[in-house]
Amino acid sequence: MAVIEAEHLSKRFGKKVLAVDDVSFSIQPGTITGFLGPNGAGKTTTLRMIVDLVRPTGGSVRVLGGRYRDLARPTTRVGALLDASGFHPGRSGANALRVVAASAGISYDRVDAALEMVELEGAARRAVKGYSTGMKQRLALAAALLGDPEVLLLDEPANGLDPEGIRWLRTFLRARAAEGRTVLVSSHVLAEVEQTVDDILIISKARLLAQGPISELTRTAQPVVRVRSPQAEKLEGLLIARGAAVNRLHDALAIRGPGSAEVGEVALAGGVVLHELLTEQPSLEDLFLQIAGTRREP
Amino acid sequence: MISLVRAESLKLRSTRTAIGMGIAAALVTVVPAVLLIAFLPKGTIGGDEARSILIAGSSLVTYIVLVFGILGMTGEYRHGTITYTYLAAPRRGRVMVVKLVVYALVGCLAMLLALLLANLIGAIGLPIRGVSYPTPDGAALADYARQIVTAGLITAFGVALGALFRAQVVTVAGTLIWALMVEPLIVAFKPHIGTWLPFNVFSQVISLRIGDTGATTDGLSRPEAFLVSIGYIAAVSVLAVFISMRRDVT
Repeated sequence: MAVIEAEHLSKRFGKKVLAVDDVSFSIQPGTITGFLGPNGAGKTTTLRMIVDLVRPTGGSVRVLGGRYRDLARPTTRVGALLDASGFHPGRSGANALRVVAASAGISYDRVDAALEMVELEGAARRAVKGYSTGMKQRLALAAALLGDPEVLLLDEPANGLDPEGIRWLRTFLRARAAEGRTVLVSSHVLAEVEQTVDDILIISKARLLAQGPISELTRTAQPVVRVRSPQAEKLEGLLIARGAAVNRLHDALAIRGPGSAEVGEVALAGGVVLHELLTEQPSLEDLFLQIAGTRREP
Repeated sequence: MISLVRAESLKLRSTRTAIGMGIAAALVTVVPAVLLIAFLPKGTIGGDEARSILIAGSSLVTYIVLVFGILGMTGEYRHGTITYTYLAAPRRGRVMVVKLVVYALVGCLAMLLALLLANLIGAIGLPIRGVSYPTPDGAALADYARQIVTAGLITAFGVALGALFRAQVVTVAGTLIWALMVEPLIVAFKPHIGTWLPFNVFSQVISLRIGDTGATTDGLSRPEAFLVSIGYIAAVSVLAVFISMRRDVT
């Protein structure tokens, strides 16, 4: 049985803003699923609809077989990090968690355990207003872990974390998945989650563009030809004229469409000098650009 | 429900807002009482009259608990804690009902303490000025009870207003402007309308102008004012619960 199942989920704010448009997906137990898309794509709204903070205007979403609000002691089943700034600045970190624990009927003993898990026990008595952005992010993660839930929903959990913190988060998520928990983690920084997730959902402009295991999606995606050339701009023009999708940064091109042989032939015919020519399996970012680019075309 | 009461209680104890409101309530009770006693010419008024004036100072506490109620609810939106509140307790109606009840009790407690403080100051200070301080009789105790209950209702009213409007500064400022400026003007120029306006109704419940007949000079009787005030609070609270249940937390 899917842990989270969304069917034709839609959300419209007012008459003009369509935040989520007919999104359907399912999350399997024991997986880490990356929910990827640019800022404003509809990730946060979707996550908030899963936990009943936002009411869908169409479709439905079920978590652990029912609506979130119908779960008994829901925070012991589903932990959510949705708003790292959602703590009263005058409360200590420990008291902020105790308030959440009390509301959810969770023992205060769990507060110390959760703080230890996110390595914040040393700052537990300090007021939240003195926390750095990264510390607030860890506190929010501790709040999500308070009920020792089997499902974790994390909205941009790496925001505000330094590289060491991001590595820590990656290890942390892997450890949760190894315990058999299910994690749905949203991010707009694709490289950040690439090494962490099993499955991905790609959303852009309110529409779900792709979903599936990351290995399968990248395997079926077109390979990317990478070229370095002192005449990169000229080569870019030649390739675009032949219908290729090209991203250029200074003297480097990432080309989707033609194979490396074809790119080499185009360069030779155009008198373009090449310093490097190689074929790569696409990264998550390449995959995203392919999918989003394909869908943008009529 | 018990866990929600525990959570509200902890919310109140874990920030300085409640302490600040307690200090403000003590100040508006103590300062007028001390000034009265300090400047009271000897033998000019009787003990009952002096006590009424002392207690009148504590009626300012109703405005403080009103603001306290507004802050208690709007603070959830201002600081974003409403997200965690509703994640832990997605049955929003229960959350709102518990908040209304807990804040009402805190409002009652604040007024009880203010009245005890005013009486204590009177019992110690008035004899120094040559005025005997009479033990509160049944009528005085009834006045106190009305003030305590009304303070609780007004605190809940503040919570409900906070849930309706959410924006903290706008709600506090708007409510105080309405209560202290707009309503008095309407009462002055259109008394037949003003009689029925909420803060005037509250003041009619606790007003010291209420005589033995149980009726104000030109307004509602005490029971009528009490019923109308209950009606106001019930209506705004039901609306607040209804809107809170349907509102998106983004």
